[in-house]
This record gives sequence, structure tokens and C-alpha cells, in this order.
Amino acid sequence: MNSLATRLRAVGLFYRSVAPFMVGTSVLILLVVLWPALHEGWASGLVLQLLLVKLATAPAVWYLSEQLRPDQYWFYFNLGVSRRFLWVGLVLLDGSLFLGLAGALVAAFA
Amino acid sequence: MRRAGALGAGPHVLEADGIRLAFGTRQVLADVYLRVQTGQIVGLLGRNGSGKSVLLQTVFGARATPDASVRVNGRRAVPAFAQPGLINYLPQVPLLPPGASLRQAARLLRVDAEQATAGFPELRAQLGQGPGELSGGTVRLLEVLLLLHADTAFSLFDEPFSGIMPVHVEALALIMQQAKQRKGILITDHRYAEVLPLCDAVYLLHQGRLRQLGADPRAELRDYGYLAT
Repeated sequence: MNSLATRLRAVGLFYRSVAPFMVGTSVLILLVVLWPALHEGWASGLVLQLLLVKLATAPAVWYLSEQLRPDQYWFYFNLGVSRRFLWVGLVLLDGSLFLGLAGALVAAFA
Repeated sequence: MRRAGALGAGPHVLEADGIRLAFGTRQVLADVYLRVQTGQIVGLLGRNGSGKSVLLQTVFGARATPDASVRVNGRRAVPAFAQPGLINYLPQVPLLPPGASLRQAARLLRVDAEQATAGFPELRAQLGQGPGELSGGTVRLLEVLLLLHADTAFSLFDEPFSGIMPVHVEALALIMQQAKQRKGILITDHRYAEVLPLCDAVYLLHQGRLRQLGADPRAELRDYGYLAT
């Protein structure tokens, strides 16, 4: 396993630790805002705005995670992965999943 | 000698100096110098709150301190943890993430879990479980074994014997003696009776300064108030 693969797997493992909250937020935003918008016909351009709303929740997750699990990083440091890499990777992964879910919802409605 | 990660073959020397740290008005570390080399187990003793964990974290690179210099073979290595094959660190708190089995964690650390547990066959059946499903002592033992067998030039252990039963501590000490043939090891643990015979050099962290102990460390430990008798 090369170094990049190890880092990406580390991000995946780290994401699992916050996935219930992150995925829950995504599902909530999509069901409460996007789904009605699709039904009512005002969803044009909404996905990108919702993505920004979704990304805006990341600082809250980061803060809670730092407060509740300050020691969670040691394992990742031992993989050579920094805090910054973990959080940037997590936000990118979560944003991609959000777009994927939104795309699936739009496709299902079309 | 076995290759240690990306560092290449040969013995390596880890040096840390200029480490100063204060919490408020309390000076925890005052210009500390520390040296560990391949083939050595170095013991670090000190009273509670003397700064042992902070020192290890600073050397590992997880805690940034101004003026601190960490070098390997004379070359700057900050943060040390980011350099492949250089160093690993066992914190005082649980290391392994709850979301992965021990075997998955071993794979990420690039350690052969079967080989790492060769001396503890009873642990093999538990490798598929997560750390939350095992006793604290068993998890601690596995954490130490994984880091010892990882291909790094140096290992820093903060309270490695904590919660581990005596028969396993003895076995672990033997494995550490074998592991030092290919890496340098720094240990801090209050179980001084196990630590002292294991170490090639012993330091005492006292009032922010690191003092290397001589041939009769117990007497010095008494003098500095670490031991009562």
C-alpha cells in the first residue's frame, strides 16, 4: 500500500467517526429543502447553494470533534497524516457525497 | 541492519534540544536535550506533571514549541511524524480508532499482525475485533506490539505497560530488547522496576531539566524525590 493510499484510507476511517452527523445533515438538507423544491419546481441552481450551506456546517463539526475527542488524532499522526489533511479530506469527501446524493435525488425526480 | 522506512540502512541518531515549554507562569521544560540512537532503549522518569508526555509529543512533532529542534542524523526533522519511516508514538490515552478492527489498524500501520503477535498466540483470535470489544490491558499490549513492529527508526512509548498483566510485561520487555536491534526506543512509565533493567540510559525529568542518571539510578531517584525508599 503506498503512502497516498494509506492517507486516503485514513481519511475514510476518520470520516466514519463523524459520518452519522455529516450524513445526517446531508439527508436532512436534501429532504427538507431540495425534495420539496423539486416538487414545487424552484430547484434550479439550488444544489450549489445547498452545498454551501452544507459546507458551512463543517466548522461546527470540527469544533465539537475537537472538544469531545481531542485525542483522536494520535493514530493518524502515526500514519504520517496531519490534522489539516484529515479535515480537508473529510470536507472534500463529504461535499462529494452530498453532491452525489443531490444528483441521485434530482435524477430520481426527473 | 534492517532498513527503517525511508531513512535507509544503518544506525540512526535522534536528537532533540532547545525544547522549552511553559504553562502560564510554570516552566515545564527548560532547554531540554535528549538523545536516542538505534540499539538503545532510553528510559524517561519523572514525577506526575513533570512534562514527560509533553516532551515525547514535542519530539514526535504533534506539539509545536518555538526554538525546538529535532534532528535525525544531524538533519532537521520537524514535524517528525510526517517523515515516512522515522518515528511512531504511543500516547498515554488509547491509540487505536474505534471504527477499525485491530487487523485493519495493523494494515494501515503496515504491520503484519500475525508476526507482531507471534509471542502472544492467544491474541490472534482477537485481531478481528475492535478496540472497544477488548479489555484495556489487551488493547494496550496490542498497541505496543503494533508500534514496535512498525518499520520506523524510532518508537516513543508513553506508559506502555499501563494495565498490562505482569507475565505480559515480562514478555513485552523481551520483545523490546529484540526490537532495539533495529530501532531506538524511548519509554516513559512509572513502573520503574520494569523500566530500569530494560534501559541502556535513564533520564530523570526534574524541575524542567533532564538529568541523565548514573550507575545507581535508584539512589538518584530517591535523592530527587521520585522514590521514597
